[in-house]
Amino acid sequence: MDFPPAPDIAGTSLSGTKPYTISAEENRQLCASINATPATDGTAHPIYYYIATQVGMGQTVGGLCAVCDFDVEVGPMMAGSQVVFSRPLKTGQPYNVTGSIKSITRKKSRKLGVMDLMVYDLSLSLPDGTLVLTTTNSWVLPRRELA
Amino acid sequence: MNINIGDALTPFIIESVSPESMKDWAVFLADPNPIHLDPEVVKAKGLGDRVINQGPTNVAYIINMLHNSFPGGTIEELDSRFLDNVYGGDRIETFGNVTDVKQVDNNTRISCEIGLRVDGRGDVISGTATVVVSN
Repeated sequence: MDFPPAPDIAGTSLSGTKPYTISAEENRQLCASINATPATDGTAHPIYYYIATQVGMGQTVGGLCAVCDFDVEVGPMMAGSQVVFSRPLKTGQPYNVTGSIKSITRKKSRKLGVMDLMVYDLSLSLPDGTLVLTTTNSWVLPRRELA
Repeated sequence: MNINIGDALTPFIIESVSPESMKDWAVFLADPNPIHLDPEVVKAKGLGDRVINQGPTNVAYIINMLHNSFPGGTIEELDSRFLDNVYGGDRIETFGNVTDVKQVDNNTRISCEIGLRVDGRGDVISGTATVVVSN
């Protein structure tokens, strides 16, 4: 290995500071943008698992990149996203976001050169602590300057 | 609902991915990354010559397929691996098939392989999903 190690950021908290609420109007707009019919029972489109955790976590996308010592302008890339739902998402319901960076691993890729693979976990819970979902996302952060 | 291992899921198709909807998703995601908004930025980064669809939007297409294939079902798990980009103007089609069916209490738990394909470029997402349907 002829490049410096990835920053030591595993364990960094990504918990949000205020609840995230899915707006019924935004849910309608989102469904319209992907040719989906909004539910009539207050259930939000499940893709809000990603949106609610990303927007409600304690960092912006740029802020999370900065924690990784990575310039957001270079462009993070999604490598994977997993979610386990305990219950459906609802519009108008405040959700708390908690989570942290799980790992960051620096490696050499044939396609991208040197890159970091950053993995983070986030959970959505009701205000009384009831778990709604957990998600694990992984991003590729190209480190061309180290190639 | 009669569901069997090997059944194909109902494909969800977008004939032409809209650059306009990427502007909406930049707001939904609170992520104004210009690769989703400005083709000149995509060109400058050497990533192509059209705007790049947000990854979560591509996952949403797969969720639409699960909803259409199992009406009234609830997604329990979804695991997506991103293999390549979807660009503005691409024709996309989701695909999937049932890999396991289990009866649990009064529910049917259906496991699936899922994915998303772009015309002319092949698979851009692959993964698995589990959906629960009340009997």
